[in-house]
This record gives sequence, structure tokens and C-alpha cells, in this order.
Amino acid sequence: MKRRSFSLATLSLATATLLASCVRGLRHIWNSERRNQPQTVTVSLSGWQANPNEQALLAQLLQDFESQHPAIKVRYETIADQYMDVIKTRLIGDAAPDVFYLDVFQAPFLMNKKVLEPLDAYITQDFDLADFEPPLLNAFQDRGQIYGLPKDVSTLALFYNKKAFAEAGLSRPPQTWQELREFSKKLTLDRNGDGKVDQYGFGVIPELARQAFMIKAFGGRLVDPNGYAAFATEQGLQGLQGLLDQYRQDRSSAQKTDVGTHSGSEMFAQEKVAMVIEGNWAIPYLTETFPALEFGTAEVPTVNDQPGTMAFSVAYVMNQQAKHKAAAWQLIAYLTGKEGMKRWTRGGSALPSRRSVAAELGYDQDPLRSAFSAGVDYATPWQAGEYLPLIMDNFDNQLLSAFLGEQTLLTALQQAQATANREIAATQ
Amino acid sequence: MIRKIQSQPGDLGEAVSGYGFMAPAILVLGLFVLVPIFYAVFLSLHKVQLLGGVEFRFIGLRNFGRMLGDERIWIALKNTAEYVAIVVPVQTILALILAIVLNTQIQGRNWFRIIYFLPTVTSSAVLTLIFIWLYNTNGLLNDFLAFVGLPTYNWLGDPNVALKAIMLMNIWSTAPLFMVIYLAALQDIPKSIYEAAAIDGANGWQRLVHITIPSLKPVTFFVITMGIIGTFQLFDQSYIFSEGKGGPNNATLTVVLLIYQYAFKTLDMGYAAALAFMLAAIIIAITLIQRRFFGDGRLN
Repeated sequence: MKRRSFSLATLSLATATLLASCVRGLRHIWNSERRNQPQTVTVSLSGWQANPNEQALLAQLLQDFESQHPAIKVRYETIADQYMDVIKTRLIGDAAPDVFYLDVFQAPFLMNKKVLEPLDAYITQDFDLADFEPPLLNAFQDRGQIYGLPKDVSTLALFYNKKAFAEAGLSRPPQTWQELREFSKKLTLDRNGDGKVDQYGFGVIPELARQAFMIKAFGGRLVDPNGYAAFATEQGLQGLQGLLDQYRQDRSSAQKTDVGTHSGSEMFAQEKVAMVIEGNWAIPYLTETFPALEFGTAEVPTVNDQPGTMAFSVAYVMNQQAKHKAAAWQLIAYLTGKEGMKRWTRGGSALPSRRSVAAELGYDQDPLRSAFSAGVDYATPWQAGEYLPLIMDNFDNQLLSAFLGEQTLLTALQQAQATANREIAATQ
Repeated sequence: MIRKIQSQPGDLGEAVSGYGFMAPAILVLGLFVLVPIFYAVFLSLHKVQLLGGVEFRFIGLRNFGRMLGDERIWIALKNTAEYVAIVVPVQTILALILAIVLNTQIQGRNWFRIIYFLPTVTSSAVLTLIFIWLYNTNGLLNDFLAFVGLPTYNWLGDPNVALKAIMLMNIWSTAPLFMVIYLAALQDIPKSIYEAAAIDGANGWQRLVHITIPSLKPVTFFVITMGIIGTFQLFDQSYIFSEGKGGPNNATLTVVLLIYQYAFKTLDMGYAAALAFMLAAIIIAITLIQRRFFGDGRLN
């Protein structure tokens, strides 16, 4: 018995020694191999979930970047939901990615908090900063420093269903807002006569992000110079009143939930509405998911004889806590450089933010995209100070209640403004 | 305690081993329950700046004072109160009825128990997503309502029905849990009492009202208390329903959703902590009132 346990102990000791020497040997081999390779660094990158095409395109771009820069590995992570909440929380916990997407309307808040790395020192002559559309670049500057480089830009334009237009005897898209309302009446149809409208003329999205240009059209403004809400004026409401009257009096427009859909492009795609004002991101969705849909695009009808639309942009920004800043810059420079941007925007979901790339891709000649690229010149950028997210939430809530007829537009938006400003004051 | 240990040195070892055995529980509870509670007290008295340099500024009770002027709190409280007032009685009565039915000798009652219990074991996030499809304007529920000739609703977009839609979903998914609790309690009621009542000539209804329901009183107290706590903490359904905004037009804004918004959207941790304390105070107060209402509410 005793002998047996002794031999067992010997055996286990021998096994342990053998294992240890094996591990040591392996480590030696691994180390010597690693010495022959250049040191690689890993840069983490985060963005939100876009459509699958865009995701595949980004993966391709990152692969190309890695093959051009063998010393840099990119670890990409998609944040599926509540992107900004996640990014803010990770920034607080020092766990944020080195490079990440930043939406233009959230930019003032983060730039003001000094958690982003200023990029001025990294930008070289051949990066050609002057090539970017100035308003887009300005949107990511604070006190003279550049914090982000816009990867692309999207604008809104009018989508119209060609079949529905032909059916109603309309040969061209509306050019003014009055025309849009007249056309909508002709396009609102109850095909089977059951008292329920089967096709509305226009799909309306009563959200500030989509309607901010309407406030400007008659001389209103969204915020005052201190960032407080200032839209609830006669001038600010005139444009919105037209939208509201169309919805409540003409009954020729519908919201997405009225017709059981989740987005503006979906209600258009399912032919619940004959017209909708949507972004260029809807083009690949419509052409790929609904190939039978015949549609055209046109510039947003003029309001008060002025052209207007919204411009949305997203930039790549660098975390101030990033470990390998030089490598992180290499990644940003590639993704927003001429070559990278050309490959990115060739996918067609967004327009380039560099003029040279825009000229090269010729989107101003493209039948579906010319309306969007024309809009870049006169669009209202979706940015208005540090408190815009808060103002937006209050605005959307109250505008909806006006659409539902619970209160007049003026009282609704006065209330939105008062609540927003009270909350802004409380955060200071 | 200390005096006792000093006077009887023999007990010291016993105390040490006692605390030793409890150490894992004390450590875990302390770290994840007690410390956060005290930290929340600390936060609620400060103006907290987290992003770009952490900074705490003592502001006394000003976070609590701010609530008075915050109209979104009143909306959230009103929504939550309406939700509690409808969901708790309905789900309790429904659970009781289901339990009494399943306690009889009907055919295949085990299958019914399993089927009824399924919603409770399914993740509420998944249920909400499924219900969003059912509630679609062109969805199954509206089709059914139209089929039987009832009016249809825009469940997701109309502020007047959005909260009712969440109520319906929650009653459906939590009533079975309480049904199981009632079922267990029903089987504890001695058969002899029913037999005695039957001999005295009591009919089924009289036995239900005078024996079953009074015997279940402690369980009903438990079910209602848990129901109130659960419904006051409504968050995930309204969060998914409204994509975190509490819309349409603040119709699905609940107190916990508001706390989430202040904590993670505006990063105002101090105010969010103060709101959380307000909610805790309300729940405690209601439970105490209910305890008086139910007598001493023995749980065993």
C-alpha cells in the first residue's frame, strides 16, 4: 500500500516535470518566432449597426487597411443598441474604443467634455483637409480644434412612387410645398371603398431631426446662442403648421405607425404612401429589398420659395485615452482619406464628404442620387449646440401630441421649449 | 456582543467560525447590496459630473427639490400609478381564478399548468418584441378585433392605448407566476375543512368565499406586494416599446425609465439616484399601508 502510493507520487512528479519542460520548450519556440515578426498593435473601433451591405463594406475596408499596415490590427465591434449611451458609459469607465463613430448632433457634447483627442497635430499636408465640405468639417470643430473627420454625409430628398403618380395622372414630382399638398390629395386613395385609406399621398415623420429645416424656412431658429431652445415662435411654426394641417385637415398624409410600419422607407416600400421624404440610405434598401418598386427621387419641395433639407454626418473620432494614438490616426486617415472614402461611398448608402471624391463618383449625375447631392449645398446640418438631444426628445413628444390633436401647435411647442429649457438649466 | 465575547472567552472561537461561515454571504451582500445603497445615498446628495474628469459637488437636498418642478416625473408617476392600479388587481384575480380552476380534477391539468407557465419563463424582452408584432396596426390582434367586429387601435402609436397595450402584455406574462404560488397554497388548505362545510350544507360558492379565499389571505398579501413592487419597477417593456424614449407623447414613460434616462442619457447620476430613492419610498409606503389593510399579514 505504502509502496504503491510512493510510486504514484513518483509518477505524478515525473509527469509534472515532463509537462513543465514541454511548456518551457514551446514558449521558447513561440518567443523566438515572435522576435522575427514586427511588433503589432491593436486598434479598437466601434460603430453602430448599419445595413448588412454597409457592414460588409466596412469589413472589406478594414481588411485592406490591415494588409496595407501589417503592424496594425483592427478590432471592430458593433454596438447594437443605444449607441451613445454605451459610448458615454464606456468613456467614463475608461473602456471606450480607440476610434469610434460620432453622430454630428452628439458631437458638441463630447467635444465640450474634452474626452476626444484633437486631431490637428496628426493631419499632414497630403491628407488634404481643404478637400472636405467646410460645413461638415466645421461641425466637428470646437474652439479652433478638429475633433473628428466626417466619413460621409447624407441628406433628405423626396421619394415618389412612379406607378402611383401615373395612376393619378401626375407627370412630375411636386416642386413646392403647396404642390405637394395638392398632389397628396390626388394620391390619397381608398381603393376598395371600405372607408379606410389604402394609399396616402405623403408619409410624414414628425420628428425634429427631419423637420428642423422647416423651422428655418420662415426665419425661425432652433436654439439661441447659449444653446437654449428657441423654436416656439410664429416664424418657427409656420412651416410645421403646413405639415400638421395636411395631416389633420386634408387627411392626405400618414405616420409610420398609422399604417403599421416601422420607418418612413418601409411605408413607402410597402406602397402605403406615394411620397416620403427620406435619406439616401433608403436607396439601397429599396432597390435591393423591393426590386419591383418603381420610384424616383427629387429635391425636397421648396418651402416659402426656399430650398431646404437636412444634412446628417458621422465622423470618426479618437478617444483621448487611446493607447496607440499614432496607429489610431493611421486608421482614421485611411478611412477618411481619398481612397478609403471613395471605396466606402461607392457602396451608395451615403455621399462623400470630400469634394474630390464626390466629383470622381459623379453622384450629381446619378438619376437617383443627384437630388441628394444637390441638397448638400443648402442643407441645414443636424446640429444645434450641446443640448440638442434633450431638446429633440421634448420637441418630438409635444409635436406628436399636436399631430394627435391634443393641443395646438403653438401651445405644444411652447411647452416643449419651456420643458427643455428648464431641464437644460437644471443640468448646469 | 463584544462584552459577551470578553466575558466568555470560550465563545470567541464559535463567533469567529460563525462569521467565517457567513463571510461569503456577508461579503457578497455587502459589496453588491449595502455598498451600492450607501453610495446611492451619497450620489443623491451631490451634483455628479462623470465624463471628462469625475467631480462630485455637494448640493444637499437640491436634487430632491428639483423633482417638484420636473413635470416629467408627474407624468411618469401618473403612468406608473395607473399601471399599478390596473395590473395588480387584474393579475391577482386572474391568477386566483386560474389556480382554482387548475386545482380541480380537470383533464390534462398538468399540460395546462405547463402551458400557462410558459410566458413566465420566457424573457420579457423577447415577449415584448413578439407583442410589438401582434400590436402592429395590421397585426394579429387588430385582425382578430376586426373579425369579431370590435374597433381596432393603433396600439403602438396612439398615446391613449400604448400603456394599455403594455398592461395587457404584462398581465398575460406575470399572472401565471402568481398562479403557481396560489396553487401551492391551495393544496395546503386541509381537506377536512371543506368536508365539514359540505356536511353543514355549504355549496361550492360558499366554500370558495368563506374557506378558500380567507385561507389564502397571507398568500394574497405576498402576491399583491410582489405585484406592486414588480409593476412599480416597470422598465424593460416600456423601454423596448418606445425605444427608450417613453413615447408616444410620454404615454409609456415610467419612473424607472425616467431614472434610466437621467442616469445614462443625460449622465445626471445624482438626480437619478434621488429619483430612485423617491421610488423606493413610495413602494415602502404602499407596502406598509397594505400591511395594515391585511391585518398583520403573516407570511407563514
